[in-house]
Amino acid sequence: MPDFDVIVVGAGPAGAAAALEAARAGRSVCLLERGPYPGSKNMYGGVIYGRVLDTLIPNWWEEAPIQRWVTRRSTMLMAGDQAVTVDYRCSSWGEAPYNGATAFRPEFDAWLASKAEAAGAVLICSTTATGLLRDGTRVVGVRTDRPDGDLTAQVVICCDGVNSFLAKEAGLYPPSDPANYTLGVKETILLPREVIDERFAVRGDHGVDIEILGCTGEVPGGGFLYTNAESLAVGLVLSLPKLAACGRRPEEMLAELKAHSAIAPLIEGGQVKEYSAHVIPEAGYKMMPELIGDGILVAGDAAAMCLAAGIWLEGVNFAIGSGAAAGQAAARAVQRRDTSSAGLQDYRRRLDSNFVMSDHRKLREAPHLVMSDLAQQQLPRIACGVMEQLFTVTNPDPKPGLRKIIRGQMKLNNLKLRDAISQGMKALRTFG
Amino acid sequence: MNPADLNPAGLNPAGINLVACVKWAELRPEIDPLHGSVEASQRSSGFSSSDFAAVESALRLAQAWSDQGQTCGVTVLCAGPEGAEDSLRDFFAVGATRVVRVHLAEQRSSAQVAELLASALMPSQLNAQFVICGDVSSDRGSGSVPAYLAHHLGMQQALGLIGLESTDPGSLHATRRLDGGRRERLLLMTAAVISVEGSVATLRRSSLAATLAAKQKTVEVRKQQIDWPTEVNRLRPWRPRARVLAPPAGDDALSRILELTGAQSGSTAARTLRLDPEQAAEAVLEQLAAWGYLDDSLPT
Ligand SMILES: Cc1cc2nc3c(=O)[nH]c(=O)nc-3n(C[C@H](O)[C@H](O)[C@H](O)COP(=O)(O)OP(=O)(O)OC[C@H]3O[C@@H](n4cnc5c(N)ncnc54)[C@H](O)[C@@H]3O)c2cc1C
Repeated sequence: MPDFDVIVVGAGPAGAAAALEAARAGRSVCLLERGPYPGSKNMYGGVIYGRVLDTLIPNWWEEAPIQRWVTRRSTMLMAGDQAVTVDYRCSSWGEAPYNGATAFRPEFDAWLASKAEAAGAVLICSTTATGLLRDGTRVVGVRTDRPDGDLTAQVVICCDGVNSFLAKEAGLYPPSDPANYTLGVKETILLPREVIDERFAVRGDHGVDIEILGCTGEVPGGGFLYTNAESLAVGLVLSLPKLAACGRRPEEMLAELKAHSAIAPLIEGGQVKEYSAHVIPEAGYKMMPELIGDGILVAGDAAAMCLAAGIWLEGVNFAIGSGAAAGQAAARAVQRRDTSSAGLQDYRRRLDSNFVMSDHRKLREAPHLVMSDLAQQQLPRIACGVMEQLFTVTNPDPKPGLRKIIRGQMKLNNLKLRDAISQGMKALRTFG
Repeated sequence: MNPADLNPAGLNPAGINLVACVKWAELRPEIDPLHGSVEASQRSSGFSSSDFAAVESALRLAQAWSDQGQTCGVTVLCAGPEGAEDSLRDFFAVGATRVVRVHLAEQRSSAQVAELLASALMPSQLNAQFVICGDVSSDRGSGSVPAYLAHHLGMQQALGLIGLESTDPGSLHATRRLDGGRRERLLLMTAAVISVEGSVATLRRSSLAATLAAKQKTVEVRKQQIDWPTEVNRLRPWRPRARVLAPPAGDDALSRILELTGAQSGSTAARTLRLDPEQAAEAVLEQLAAWGYLDDSLPT
């Protein structure tokens, strides 16, 4: 007789959602977390898209620990000391049912895990799953780092985040390729609420999300700047192998972003409270492991379900969506007394029928496109160059035509019209 | 308990009750850079390493004496808020037989905390033969709670210990630091209050089964009624920060000290001014500025 019906490893958003759904379905669930409390080990940029919570926790916005509701989204293209920004505001995002919100992970993850506990899951913190227990090829539990630390279950759900040792041990991952990963680094900078309101032109609990391209020099990647209630999150996402090859330190590159004339006035006078770093499974769909084995499921970042596609950096919502599907599928398999790989296929069906797989499948080329030279180098330079020429008054010379400016900038940046069209078509096909 | 209460084999028929006192405190306080106020958070609160050492010491003594045939129990006692209960429950997993929380929702002085703990430790209540505390709490504790406890309970005390060894049931050898790198070895018999440094022991890691079982255990809650006098918050005058002075010039030590202390420079003669409040405030500020206490960053 196993100790539990379901063991969930990792109390991040994926694990908490999996435990919540399995416990709600009446199964006995153990949620293991290596940190002293859920979220204590977790970092991210800062925006959570909560629509996925609507069915899990109705009116979640009334109780979730939120910093600010994002009502302004900007996309910034940087080149040298210039920047072009597309700025979008939507005040209805500041009202229920809301769209995105900034939140601190130690608060958000602990809140979500408390929902799983309230549904009956047993949360065990400060406990690391160090390996899998097997009966033949079948996973029957986990070994933990506690004395007498073996724990058995009918299904183990791996929600242990990016670079999942458990999924690898189960043989679900092919050998890993560093090119599939990026490194995210972030500083949290303290500023008074009124200063943030003033600088970002928002009021009350409204906030801003700025995504930045062209700010990482020779290393493909991107940047971000988010507003919390009384702090800012400024960070970079950097291609892992290119970062290693260039020999530069990520904090040095982050300091350059902070010194840029488009960013420096926004963070001026702030006090750095925290520096953190974490790996991101950037390649998404293309690096996903086998999701199902005998007695085992993989969800969230552990299954590379993070959508890093330039203008989108979404992982928490995909983690919750996949975790919930894994919890439901595991509960159903336990009830039907078939937790073999075949009995757990319901997980795949659930993922295929919701946003998790359809977004990842549709946008599978997006990470590659965003990391291309065109998006990283040429596009930001051309955009900034065009703006400079468009708005520089050259009297007594007459104003140049827009077409001429664009052509000139393309030439200056070695972008052939044919390449531009073919990349444009690719982008349309990917994002279209 | 007196040594006379022990039977010839040194065993106490009623069993020995060891109580470890722990303080639920803010471990990583957030300090508002603007007003200096301390923000406590449930998640960053916990017990200090010396409190953990106290619990581990109690468990080791109980184990050693049990091996010699003495019945022993370890109770963990905490005067703290409800929020401490999840963490207190973890002490069951390492082997505590009882965990008791005396309800205390707000910060109190060491004397008052000790009074509260002592009321729970009285013979009619927990009846402790050994009370083991951490030497200081992590929130700038003074280490005085164990001393107050010994006073209230009428027990002998040995505080700030750096080593503990069990001997016969009901007695132990303790080591205390003395000045000049010397050590003092004490033989302690029941009943005593002792406090230990964090280096004395590291709390054992509980097994998975015990950790799971502890989830079902209940922390006993006591609501002790003590009528403390109402606290009067003292409002102190604002004190300017110390000025940073350039190092004194001067060839010898005496002239440098004279310059530094200003002992031979003329002092400001006392003046009595009769002014209305606004003018008086101006005059005070002027004088402070003349003495160099006010810089431009200070709002006047
Ligand atoms: C710099 C950066 C910026 C990001 N920005 C955003 C953003 O703005 N919006 C967004 O939606 N997403 C963002 N993401 C992605 C997002 O953080 C992840 O997709 C999301 O956290 C995945 O959730 P998860 O539960 O799968 O994994 P995680 O959040 O990584 O949680 C895994 C949990 O498992 C625990 N664990 C790991 N191993 C073990 C073990 N062996 N035993 C026990 N416990 C274990 C960990 O302690 C952790 O609690 C960002 C990521 C980074 C790095």
